[in-house]
Amino acid sequence: MIHSHSPTLSSMPLSRRQALGLSAASLLAPLGLHAEQIKKQQRACILVWLAGAPSQMETWDPKPGTGNGGPTKAIKTALPGVSIAEHWPQMAKALGNVAIIRSMVGKEAAHARGTYHLHTGRRLGGPEKHPNFGSVVAAELGDTNSELPNFVSVGQTLSSGFLGVNVAPFIVNRAGQLPANVSTAVASPRVSRRLALLKAQDADLSKAGAASLVEEHRVLYERARRLMTSPKLKSFKLDGEPAARQQAYGKNPFGQGLLVARRLVEAGVPFVEVRRGGWDMHNSLFTRIKPAAAQVDRGVASLLDDLKRRGLLERTLVIVAGEFGRTPKVNSKSPAPGRDHWARSFGLMLAGAGIRGGHVVGKTSANGQEVVDRAVSVEDLFQTICSAMKIDADKELFTPGGRPLKIVDGGKPISEILG
Amino acid sequence: MRRLLILMLCALLAIVASTADAQTKKSGKRRATARKSAKKAGKKTSTTKKPKLPPLKTSADKQKFLAIIRDSMPVRRAGSNIRYTPLDLDRSLEYRVGRDRSYAPLIDDERFVRRVHLDLVGRPPSGTEVRKFVADTTSSKRPRLIDQLLTTEAYARKWARYWKDVIFFESTANRNRTNPKALEDWLTGQFKKGASWDAIVAELVSAMPVRDKKKKKEKNDWSQKTGQNNFVLAYENKPPLLAAQTARLFMGISIQCAECHDHPFDKWKREQFHELAAFFSRGKYYMPNLDNPAKKTEMKPKFLLGEQPPVKLTTHQRRVAIAAYLVYNQDNYWFARSFVNRIWNELVGDGFYAVDSLGPDQECLHPSVVNRIAAVFRYRKFDPRWVFRLLLNSRAYQRDIQSIDNDEDLFTAVRPIRLNSAQVKSSVLRLTGANRNIGRSVEREFRFDPSIPQRDLEGTVQQALFLMNNPTLQNKLNQSKLKKRLVNVKQPRRLLTQLYLAVLSRQPTDNEYARGQKHLRAVPDRAEAVEDLIWVLVNSTEFLTKR
Repeated sequence: MIHSHSPTLSSMPLSRRQALGLSAASLLAPLGLHAEQIKKQQRACILVWLAGAPSQMETWDPKPGTGNGGPTKAIKTALPGVSIAEHWPQMAKALGNVAIIRSMVGKEAAHARGTYHLHTGRRLGGPEKHPNFGSVVAAELGDTNSELPNFVSVGQTLSSGFLGVNVAPFIVNRAGQLPANVSTAVASPRVSRRLALLKAQDADLSKAGAASLVEEHRVLYERARRLMTSPKLKSFKLDGEPAARQQAYGKNPFGQGLLVARRLVEAGVPFVEVRRGGWDMHNSLFTRIKPAAAQVDRGVASLLDDLKRRGLLERTLVIVAGEFGRTPKVNSKSPAPGRDHWARSFGLMLAGAGIRGGHVVGKTSANGQEVVDRAVSVEDLFQTICSAMKIDADKELFTPGGRPLKIVDGGKPISEILG
Repeated sequence: MRRLLILMLCALLAIVASTADAQTKKSGKRRATARKSAKKAGKKTSTTKKPKLPPLKTSADKQKFLAIIRDSMPVRRAGSNIRYTPLDLDRSLEYRVGRDRSYAPLIDDERFVRRVHLDLVGRPPSGTEVRKFVADTTSSKRPRLIDQLLTTEAYARKWARYWKDVIFFESTANRNRTNPKALEDWLTGQFKKGASWDAIVAELVSAMPVRDKKKKKEKNDWSQKTGQNNFVLAYENKPPLLAAQTARLFMGISIQCAECHDHPFDKWKREQFHELAAFFSRGKYYMPNLDNPAKKTEMKPKFLLGEQPPVKLTTHQRRVAIAAYLVYNQDNYWFARSFVNRIWNELVGDGFYAVDSLGPDQECLHPSVVNRIAAVFRYRKFDPRWVFRLLLNSRAYQRDIQSIDNDEDLFTAVRPIRLNSAQVKSSVLRLTGANRNIGRSVEREFRFDPSIPQRDLEGTVQQALFLMNNPTLQNKLNQSKLKKRLVNVKQPRRLLTQLYLAVLSRQPTDNEYARGQKHLRAVPDRAEAVEDLIWVLVNSTEFLTKR
């Protein structure tokens, strides 16, 4: 029996940190699999987070000509018989590689709670702080010895919760720039000189009884130094990306964020989140949607195209989602109408990592107010994501209090879109 | 397990009943002076047989009532003469750990003065403070320093911050509905005036914050400005969360697993969890049926050891009842013990058990020692300063550091402890001068859950990057008063003494003198050499460690 409640050292089979340190890669290594091979099979994920909750009827599930549909028109896509909202012309062409879910049924219609639910697969308010799914991926798939962090977020995101600091999101505030504090102000020989003195300084403390702390400190400084001097650090920047490609992704922070995400995935980072806010369109939705959608349409379509051409799409899951949907009924807010919070039916998009492209999951009623076919819960979504990422959703993670929690609690994968 | 509370096992039922009587009698006496209370008291005396509790709607009424229960606790009188000194503690602990084991030597004055400052006031001592303390030749200077620091505002603030962090770290409440700072300020006031731990916890647990209807238009007024409301608000006034957190924070018991099923490693049953939660409910409380959401069972409030209120209680009265069963309950030895264990854990680096996930009792190390301290803590009227004085004056606290890898070595030495964000912040800012940017970065990067055992804490790469390279920090260090002063010190030995005292609060060792002098000779530019040396000490493990 695992006695994780034990307060004693010797009776603890695995300490918290040991448990976290056992990544898939380190377990596979002794089997003789070459690191490069592992990397090839290794899944990665880019989460495109549309903060504020985009309207399903202005994205993947338009209802033109109905009372609830508003002025939004539908356009044809690469898939016969499937139309999406007019604001997404490039995605319309890319649908062959994409699965759309039109029948998400959420339970949270407030921003903080919806963000939590869609980032952790759990509802806010239990006794535990659940980890951001990016931290779960970092813990499960990340290489503890990698030069780059295993979870990068361009923009703020949820914390790693009870999984702790080692898999916390490494936050970059502006895409295309180096992360904070990775460059030294002093010349390299001086850095080496300082590090040599530091080593001697710490050696004394090590002898004085703090050997384990000193050793940890040394490892951290080594990792910091490796990151600072890593050739992979350039993945955070856009140098060397042809101007045409930068243009294709969109010369704006979001588009450049996606380009950085691709570069990071290419460099071996298993989870990257890119955030694009501004979707909370309670008013003036039909005008505000245009510039927002144009940016995301262009950026995501270019990302999918770029990933595919590099052979990365088959191992990289791309998720485009927000925290919930918006009311099918158009409100009468001034200066121009919009839609309010709505979790009972909404949509999102998945692609890559074996997700079957050209698939539309579920259906909503003509007025958009009910899911009439193939309801998908948030738990189902996380099961699907785990399945695509080759992560065992039933694996138990232990909280600091010793409580075992499955990575995903309940739900079933959407088998029809899994390859 | 040896039960140390040999005094009579008078059920709280009786206490509550007799207290209700006392309350009516007391109010009776006041009749002559206050007409209003006379009316109320008159009503009460008419129902003589069955104890009838006052409504206890206001915080002041609750505290008054709890104070009466407190004074009626027989142990207070019976145990008030019991002596328990740091020497008693060391003898019993060393007996349990094993007298033949090798113990780390006691630390010297320099190390002691830094350690005790970090622990009591949350900052390292200045160079002057270190020198003054070391130069003092009187024999009782250590206990005197402890006593003196315990009277400072900084002591109250440090421990208020600790408990605020402990309470809020697991909180997922909407930030607009809580006010951690108000809680910290309130706790600071309590610790400053020497409030007892029972009174503090009773007030936190019995709080019943209500949304002020008059202020409804003002957004988000959940009475969170009243500091003591924030334990309840941090857990959203939700009965299951409050039950789990009350047990975890104030009893050191992990029962949250029992919300859904009988506890796998412990004796707690699912019903017990929900009976505890029922105390925090506004109306009737139901335990959900996990197989069939339509079915649920009503649960009556019952404390973990089976104590049940004798009469039907209102929402407010139930909060007072849970506070009383938790705090003024001779059978609940967990309450006193969890405080002692947390403080011990903070000071020495390991508790007698994990601070918030105690399993079955046999998993407590050296139970006779910690139970004894806990019992005397109760006799000392739950005075937090008594616990600090006892522990800080003991050999157990004043031993040298050692890496500890197995249970047998626990308490033969002190574990080197990672400084928390507030301690790192004060260590950094005293070198750079006040700076919001740096302060915030440190708070963000060095934050950790204060309930995680030290041995499981980890540093981060971002912390290293921050200390190595952060441009603001490097600039401020390079322009600091310390650097300017050191550059002007001609004699290398004096320069190094001042440097080490300022950054690490101690004199350099011979090795460090030799290394530093070599560096000063090798680097022709004195400013550059000094910058290097400051950088090295700020980035050293010791800078971030309580040793």
